[in-house]
Amino acid sequence: MSHTNRALNRILLALAGLVLLAAGAATAAAGMLPDVAGGWAAAGSSLMDQAGTILASAPLPGPARSWWAVAGVAVLVLAAGLSIAWLASQGGGRTSRVGQESDGGRGTTVVETGLVSAAVKQALDGNRQVLGASVSAWETRGDTGLRLRLQARQGASPREIADTADELVQGIDALLGHPLPVLVRITSGTRTKVAGPQRAR
Amino acid sequence: MSQDRAIRRLVRRETHASRATESILTAGVLAAVFLWLALETVLALLQESPLLASPERLGRWLAGVPANTLPAGLVAAGAGLAVLGLVLLAAATTPGRRSRHAMQSGRSAVVVDHEVIASAVSRRARLTAGLAPGQVTTTVGQRAVRVQVRPTSGVSVDRNAIGAAVEGELAAYSLDRRIAPTIHIMREGVLGQ
Repeated sequence: MSHTNRALNRILLALAGLVLLAAGAATAAAGMLPDVAGGWAAAGSSLMDQAGTILASAPLPGPARSWWAVAGVAVLVLAAGLSIAWLASQGGGRTSRVGQESDGGRGTTVVETGLVSAAVKQALDGNRQVLGASVSAWETRGDTGLRLRLQARQGASPREIADTADELVQGIDALLGHPLPVLVRITSGTRTKVAGPQRAR
Repeated sequence: MSQDRAIRRLVRRETHASRATESILTAGVLAAVFLWLALETVLALLQESPLLASPERLGRWLAGVPANTLPAGLVAAGAGLAVLGLVLLAAATTPGRRSRHAMQSGRSAVVVDHEVIASAVSRRARLTAGLAPGQVTTTVGQRAVRVQVRPTSGVSVDRNAIGAAVEGELAAYSLDRRIAPTIHIMREGVLGQ
């Protein structure tokens, strides 16, 4: 339920993949075809010469010597900044508040995730199918969403756990007074393996 | 209607990979390379000694790569780069399904791990055939369930009964896509259970 921009991730990964693929193809071609190798060397040295003339075309007094060098550094720093922005855009959106209501300037009521978590844990106390539960709240589009993670006992029927979860969600709806989007995730984990299967009753 | 769409979105995001790991790795490498190049350029402008190579030396080296490297080395390096590119392209274009299934539910989005389904199916098959724990192993895939039964030596198991029980169990989950079970009964049994 995190805020990761998945479309952006895929577009940027595809771009990076295409660039690497093109570079790899060019390198391999230079290894196999002498013409390509010659073209590479010629283009490289002519580019180096052009860079020299461009650097000399806009001289700048002082240690930097050329406006173009300053611009180059600026472009590199900008590119690094964009990469870091992409890095920082992963994840996020988790909140500790399930709901918030302000009462006409007289005060604000905040419902924390802990309340729902405690209620869920209490409701599941003694349940043989569910070994553990965790509740987290996430900001979804214009709303707060709940994520309910239930750890199933080995061999427990997902249907029964899903029905239990439906009851829990009804209880949460009644507790909060308005329905929130809920994601229920039924998983197995370390406790599933340690607790062993349920014995016949 | 919008509730429905919200739930479908939740389910989709939970059952498909976000590609965050690949993105973090790529973005980290890109940021490091750009920062290093910027630093080298600044050092060259200030006429300080470079960290690894000055931009000018780097450019000369890059232009001279085909002349200074063995052709086989070039081909190998190119193939390595291309494979890395293909890996990133695959990450960008494949759906990246996780081993989870969605269950139909009226109110909320319910997603269940393959492991949980496998363990419940194993238990159902085991109880139907009257076997001990560990005699049934189940593997759940995106479209198929494989139930492997290891009978007790000398006692035959009823394949049809196990098949019907597994079908019924899977039908009860009302998963978002139908997964077909195959029952595989091993020829070798286990001793004395």
